[in-house]
Amino acid sequence: MFNFFGEIKENLKNTNKIGLDNFNLINISGKILYVEGHLGLVTLSKETISFKVKNAVIIVDGSEMILSELSENTLKITGKIKKVEQI
Amino acid sequence: MKFRNESIFHLKTLNQEKLLNSLCKKFSLTKIDRLNEKEVKFSCDYSKYKKIEKYLKERNTEIISISHFGVMWRLSQVLTSFGLIFAILFISIGFSIQYQYIWQYEILGTEKLDKNSVVSFIAENFDKKKSKIDIVEIETALANKFNEISFASCIIKGQTLVVNIKEKLLPDEKYGQFQPIISQKNAKITKIELISGTLNVKVGDFVEVGDVLVEPYVIDSSGEIKKVEANAKIYAEVYNEGSADHYESFIDVYRTGRVCEESVVTLFGLPIYTFKTENTFKMYEVEYETTNLIQNNFLPFKLKKTKIYELEERVVETKFEDVQDEYLQKARQNALEKCEDCDKIIDEYYTLRHLSGITVVNYCIVTLEEIGEKYVG
Repeated sequence: MFNFFGEIKENLKNTNKIGLDNFNLINISGKILYVEGHLGLVTLSKETISFKVKNAVIIVDGSEMILSELSENTLKITGKIKKVEQI
Repeated sequence: MKFRNESIFHLKTLNQEKLLNSLCKKFSLTKIDRLNEKEVKFSCDYSKYKKIEKYLKERNTEIISISHFGVMWRLSQVLTSFGLIFAILFISIGFSIQYQYIWQYEILGTEKLDKNSVVSFIAENFDKKKSKIDIVEIETALANKFNEISFASCIIKGQTLVVNIKEKLLPDEKYGQFQPIISQKNAKITKIELISGTLNVKVGDFVEVGDVLVEPYVIDSSGEIKKVEANAKIYAEVYNEGSADHYESFIDVYRTGRVCEESVVTLFGLPIYTFKTENTFKMYEVEYETTNLIQNNFLPFKLKKTKIYELEERVVETKFEDVQDEYLQKARQNALEKCEDCDKIIDEYYTLRHLSGITVVNYCIVTLEEIGEKYVG
């Protein structure tokens, strides 16, 4: 089955060296943020949701945000997403 | 009603992120909504809610509420409703117990035999429990008990015992019904063949409608009256009369042929178009006719037609001698209409009565018939 992330990573080559398997983020029109490979929530509010990923923390700023799905490795944020920041 | 089966947890906890992190490692959570610093809501699959609830209780997390939605939850509620289960169980047990018994009897094919006597006989002598009922035994017992029964068959249909009875063809006196034979016509007795009973008439007697011909009893040698069925064949000359009246002059009303018409077209009973010619007739008769203008029923246009026929009177004068044959035939026809089931016409004659301006024709047809029928009170 065609995997979008797999195809992109294939094209870059040297996958292991540059650590492309840590996490994936997809921002769909600033309304849905889909995350693969999170390591746990840090903060949860309607304006800010932050979560850990390997070697970093992702901070999502926005409004009326809801964590509409949360499983061990994936999460989905819905609402008005204004900024996604990695620190 | 939601078809998706889900449970919504409303929790009160301080470290929500930590709790959600630990929960999401075991369960998939959806619609996570932080209400304030202390309260959070999330949804999970209905099938997992018990495990999540247990997990939360183990960690002393305060659960404010758990609400459920979906078909499965509704179904499980019904199935775990003890009141309903008890009611179903109770009804089932009650039904299964009462289903073993006969509660109703249906007697078919009886005309002379009393149904209640058959029902009471079965109810008194046989068990009501289906398993203890022997159909053949009931059939035999019925045939033995009631002389009127020629054949009986029984079936159990649900909780009804259906008894089909074929009665014996017994004479009326077996049932204590003794009725006289009465005359249903005006006649002269010509022949009698008595089978049983006592004759009330003899050959040559004139009888009228309702006269008793044979009494339903006999007087034995000791002078005692013994009831028997009245049975006899009685033949008689029956006089069937018909008449026709002739008037030497009478007023005949006839149509002149001139007609006035009035037509009204209606829709739902309301007149929408009228056409008529003025009625100038002094004497007339009216005929009405209503027809549908359109064949379908969507618009019920109807045409009401009124026809007015002009009438006139004339005096008709005829001599009886000129039309005698015609009036004889009329009178004969009237007499023939009264001849029901006549075996044989043995004579016919007519008489004429001349009154002032009127001639009455009486025609009599004499037939030979078997008369007498059982009196039905």
